[in-house]
Parts: sequence; C-alpha cells; structure tokens
Amino acid sequence: MKTQYSRRNVLTRLGGAIAGLLTLSTARAVKAAVQKVFVSSGAPKDYDTTKHKWLMCIDVNRCIGCGLCVEACKKENSVPEGPYFRTWIERYIIPKPEPGSGQTRGETLVDSPNGGMHGFPPSPVPKDQIEHSFFVPKLCNLCEHSPCVQVCPVGATFDAPDGAVLIDPKYCIGCGFCIQACPYGCRFLSPVTHTAEKCTLCYHRITRGLKPACAEICPTQARIFGDLKNAGPDDPIRKFYENNRVSVLKPHLGTEPRVLYAGLDKEVR
Amino acid sequence: MNQPPGGRTPFRAAEETGRTPIQPFYSMRRFKMPPQIVRLVLLTLAIVGSYFVARAFLTPASFGEFGWYRGEALVELRSRTPVYAGKQACDECHSDQLQKLAKFEHKTLSCEACHGVSREHAENPDILPVKLTGSHCIRCHEANPSRPKWFKQIVVKDHYSGKCTECHVPHQPSQSP
Repeated sequence: MKTQYSRRNVLTRLGGAIAGLLTLSTARAVKAAVQKVFVSSGAPKDYDTTKHKWLMCIDVNRCIGCGLCVEACKKENSVPEGPYFRTWIERYIIPKPEPGSGQTRGETLVDSPNGGMHGFPPSPVPKDQIEHSFFVPKLCNLCEHSPCVQVCPVGATFDAPDGAVLIDPKYCIGCGFCIQACPYGCRFLSPVTHTAEKCTLCYHRITRGLKPACAEICPTQARIFGDLKNAGPDDPIRKFYENNRVSVLKPHLGTEPRVLYAGLDKEVR
Repeated sequence: MNQPPGGRTPFRAAEETGRTPIQPFYSMRRFKMPPQIVRLVLLTLAIVGSYFVARAFLTPASFGEFGWYRGEALVELRSRTPVYAGKQACDECHSDQLQKLAKFEHKTLSCEACHGVSREHAENPDILPVKLTGSHCIRCHEANPSRPKWFKQIVVKDHYSGKCTECHVPHQPSQSP
C-alpha cells in the first residue's frame, strides 16, 4: 500500500509522537519519585554525608585469627558462598633462616583458607622453626586516591563525601576494570548479581550509628572503627594513634589508604 | 542601495554589448550559503541537539549531586536493614549482664560474637538466640603459634576433655561456677 503523505496525516503523526514522548518522560519522573519515596523510607533521615570521615584502624598484634569478622561480614552483607570475601584474614608464617644461608629470615608463607572464616589449619612449619607468625585482617583500604574509582567507565563506583568507597549496583555493568585496578584485591565480581562488589564499611550500619559488622563482632578489638571529623580526645581512634606507630599497605602506590595498621611486618603486602 | 549616478550601471553596457556580465560588487553582500553546506550544518545541529535531548531524558536527576555518580545511590545503599543488632540493642534489656561482663576479661566481646545474630531476638524477645556449644571457646582459645603471645591459649586435648563450662563461667572467665 502506498503511504499517503498528506499534511493532515504527517501533522497527526508528528503530534502523536511528541505527545508519546512527553507521556513517557512524565511516567519516568513519576516512577522515579515513587521509587525515591519507597527506597528512602528505610534509610536513616538525619545522616549528612559531608559531616563524617570514616576510617578503620587495625591492630595486627590483637588479631587472633578466629574468623568471626569474616563470618559476620558474609552474614551482614549476604556475600555469596565460596571464594568471595569483602573482608578476610591472612596468616603470615616467617620461618627461621636455614643455618649458614646468609639470610635474615626464611621464605614467607601466606595462606587464607576460605578467607580464614573457619579458622586456620595447624601451621605447616613446626612451632620451633617459626621466627614470626601473625594474622592480618584485610578489607577495602578506603583510599583517598582510589584507583578503582578512576577506572570505572560508567560512574558506578565512587568516593562518597564521608570517605566510603561505594558501588552503585544499578549502574555497574560488571566490566571488571575496578577488580583489576584495586591493588589490594578487595573487589570481586558477584556470581549472583554479575556486578562488582566490595566492602561498603557496612554503609547501612554506620549511617545508623552502628559499627561495621566486623568491628562490632571482633572479640579482641583488633578492628577499631572511627569518624575523623567527630573524634573527641578519648575516642578509640585517638588512643590508637597515641599508642601505636601506624602504617598503611603499599604506601609506594600513593593511594593514601584510610585503613591504618599497627604492628605490620615488611612482608605484608 | 548605492545606485551609480545617471540611473545606469556601467555593467548594463556590458550586457548590451553581449559580453559576459561581470558579477556586480554590491551583490556580494547577499551571499547565499550553498545548499549542501546548509544541509550539513542542520544535520550536525540535529545530531548534537538529539544528544542533549537524550542526555536530559536518560541521566538520573541525582547524577552529579556529589560527584560523577548517582547521589541517590548513597540513599539506596544505606536503606538496607542491618543483620547484627549491636551491643547497644542488647544493653536495652540485659544491662545487668553487660555490667557484669565489663568487669572481666571478656569485656571486649560483643554479645553476638558468641550468641549469634540476634536481631530477631532484639525485636521480638520470644525468638531465642542460637544455642551455644563449646566450639565457641575453642574457636578463639585453641593454641596456635600464629596467635599473639598475650592471648590465653590451651591445647584442648592436653587441657581437659569435658565441657568448658564445668570450670569456667563464660561471662566471668576467671571465676569458677
């Protein structure tokens, strides 16, 4: 059939198209407004992102490697089963040097079976041959200059004004650039959502005045969580600074992490 | 326009002589854009314009609120319900237990470290928290050369084969029942 291009015909169709576009955009705006009300109903109202600066302090001398933090993190954040962790514990075993080898220490062994969630098997090195051995809890290092944020092509991962490095799950396309960019290995691609996931510092807890699940559950207070903008003189993070000499992981990368460690060894990466 | 004196242009004479007329100087002011260039400019404007229209429709309103990301994502991320209730929630009803605990070695422990996730219990006291077993003690106190020296550790098989609670009170570990 031959299409009739009469003026009336064309104008009617054009008008219809414009009306359709306008309805579509109105519908989108209404949907967004309804979603906003629905979503924010569960969010704490009195939280101002610009009035906080979160940080985590970790005392390696206090970690006993019980794995309660790893378990708590998995439960709190519904982290998928299997080798996916937002926080995990590494065991470092530094043996004594071979006699006459001219070395200061032996070859360092690092393991983290199932992220340390169910504890650690007996040491592969006999106790009398161990020079040093310790546990190092790991999590997102809350970098000031985050490599993961720099590589995200869609603006899905970002530094929140309060210092948390977060992922917008609706924007993440699962390309995995950030997973390769993170020098601390703190990200993974979720087999459930097919988006990148990482430690959010339990953002839903800290904005309600609770501690992150790992810091809440740690039995020896190896993890100290605090707010730099609201830390009084008796705040645990001030005490941590006073009582320890602190360092960060991979300082040569210039990421300026806000996860501070006390009692690190040079072998810890 | 600038009419030459006498009402005759010097070029009309050229027309009359049958020679090719020379383009008059004043017609240069009415320069006409060649139609292919006009089409190109219109097409470019349409493409750039449709990009801005599409961008306005597709970008969420909160994008760029704090930076190059959706500001609304912050609200969405904090709207999730916490799983662990936290020590403050326990303190609302069990402050006597927490005060006792604070005098002993286990003062740094969170209730839910041993008693398990207790949010449901905190909201509805009829739902009881998870039952405990001795493996909770061993999880931390089994001897391990990687554990710090200050931390109390036992080799379980050399220590005692019975229940931990026969000799130790969990809330007051240095006291016997």
